[in-house]
Amino acid sequence: MEPILLTRPGSADPQPLADYQGEGGYEALSAAVKRLPEHLLSTIERSGLRGRGGAGFPVGQKWRLAASEAETQKYVVANGGEDEPGSAKDRVLMESYPHRVLEGVILAAYAIGAHEAVLYVNSLYDHATAMLDRAITEASAAGFLGARVAGSAFNLAVRIQSAPQEYVAGEDSAVLEVIEGGPPLPREKPPFPTSAGLHGKPTVVNNIETFAFIPTIVRRGPDWFRGQGTADNPGTMLFTLPSNVRSPGVVELPIGISLRVLIEDYGGGLASGKAIKAVLPGGPSSAFIGGTDLDVAMDRQPLAALGSALGCGILRIIEAGECLVEVVDGIAHFFQKESCGQCPICQMETQALARITAQVRDGQGSQQMLDQIPKLGAFARGKGFCGLISMPIPPLTSAIRLFPEDFAYHIEHGHCPASEG
Amino acid sequence: MERSPEIALCLVCHNIDCKSRGSIEVGEAIAARLAAAGSTVEVKPYICFGACTEGPNLVLYPQGTWYSGVQPSDVPEIANHILGGSPVDRLSEGVDPDLRELILEILDSLGDL
Repeated sequence: MEPILLTRPGSADPQPLADYQGEGGYEALSAAVKRLPEHLLSTIERSGLRGRGGAGFPVGQKWRLAASEAETQKYVVANGGEDEPGSAKDRVLMESYPHRVLEGVILAAYAIGAHEAVLYVNSLYDHATAMLDRAITEASAAGFLGARVAGSAFNLAVRIQSAPQEYVAGEDSAVLEVIEGGPPLPREKPPFPTSAGLHGKPTVVNNIETFAFIPTIVRRGPDWFRGQGTADNPGTMLFTLPSNVRSPGVVELPIGISLRVLIEDYGGGLASGKAIKAVLPGGPSSAFIGGTDLDVAMDRQPLAALGSALGCGILRIIEAGECLVEVVDGIAHFFQKESCGQCPICQMETQALARITAQVRDGQGSQQMLDQIPKLGAFARGKGFCGLISMPIPPLTSAIRLFPEDFAYHIEHGHCPASEG
Repeated sequence: MERSPEIALCLVCHNIDCKSRGSIEVGEAIAARLAAAGSTVEVKPYICFGACTEGPNLVLYPQGTWYSGVQPSDVPEIANHILGGSPVDRLSEGVDPDLRELILEILDSLGDL
């Protein structure tokens, strides 16, 4: 497989401008600004690239929506808030490949007609912020930013915005609130950011990883990009392997790779040597995949067929002997804590779920209590400003479905089977 | 579902919105009236009923009466209802019946409140 993003394996140093240009960096930009933005939009649409922030929305379609708005003031925002527990992929890109990210942002701005862009960076990421800042300075000096980008009539200013340490602060519209100087609270939608985003103007918000694909897609063409991955979801993707495998960290692999191959061949398998009991393949809001389904392809549709999701490719692996009750109790409390408090039903739902899992964990639960979880999820669906309201349900219901014995044991004994004796 | 007419608990929401609208004070005032009358009905905090914008909310359990937008001036009538008097119908008018059904089912499942 040919890497698109992590082209310098083994090197964590920031890629200097000259090195990036040696790989063809900024060639895409220099060529793109000589043609109409329509050509660029069409290239991204034909590539089939989907956003890598978790929702998997087609990037070209999102850009087209913003580009078609009549407003003259538009914005591009690169979301590097990265508050998903366990995620490190955007940090790797910002720290080691800052020019790749930046060129992607500049191309997006040209495509939709934006003259201001914001890089929204996790406030703990001091090094990433410094490397992006340096890349902005270098790109400006080289004529790829500022007035007359790459000798064209196009101009663009890019700045960095520090992102608060809250889960909802990574939600698209909450990102916009923060950039406008407000608290990280999601907005009611519609309108979507592509029509009324930053300062009420059309705005494209994409994940850092999404932007990093753009330069190479433009330089090598959509057909080349479609040579990896699947027809529905082309290209490669960054997967984050958790700390309990032999080789944890971020790897780039084609979408559609089997979950088992990802864990065994690229992660080296579990360091403990134990069997895999279950996997959360796409972060804390995806559903658990049981140990018998590990050959599933890491792609949207095959995972959806198992009730789960690709998310941003952050794996969590539950080992044989671990108890799912404690795991889901942690997830329920995570979402309870991270619910921003704007939407009444989200507050009620996340509080009720955390209370149910805590009572089951402590031996004060019942099957009747567990039966409330899907009912809560069905009632709450669509009643929040953002997706958080639906996030706790898949991990909880899948764990109860796959491992009823763990829950039955806790209901009866008030502790894990593993902790007995 | 037919519910028991009994009132054993008066559950008062203590979540952010209801609290900011004075739910704690309302609960304390109800508790004082019940204590003065020698009632065994307990006033207990609960988080949350999901009707934050209509708060303060309280639920009389297991009967299932839900009062929203409760003000200190409503306390005598609510205490009177708990002590066997008539329900205060005007305080139940804004409650979403589907939400009430869901909340009561959750409360029933929780058992020990």
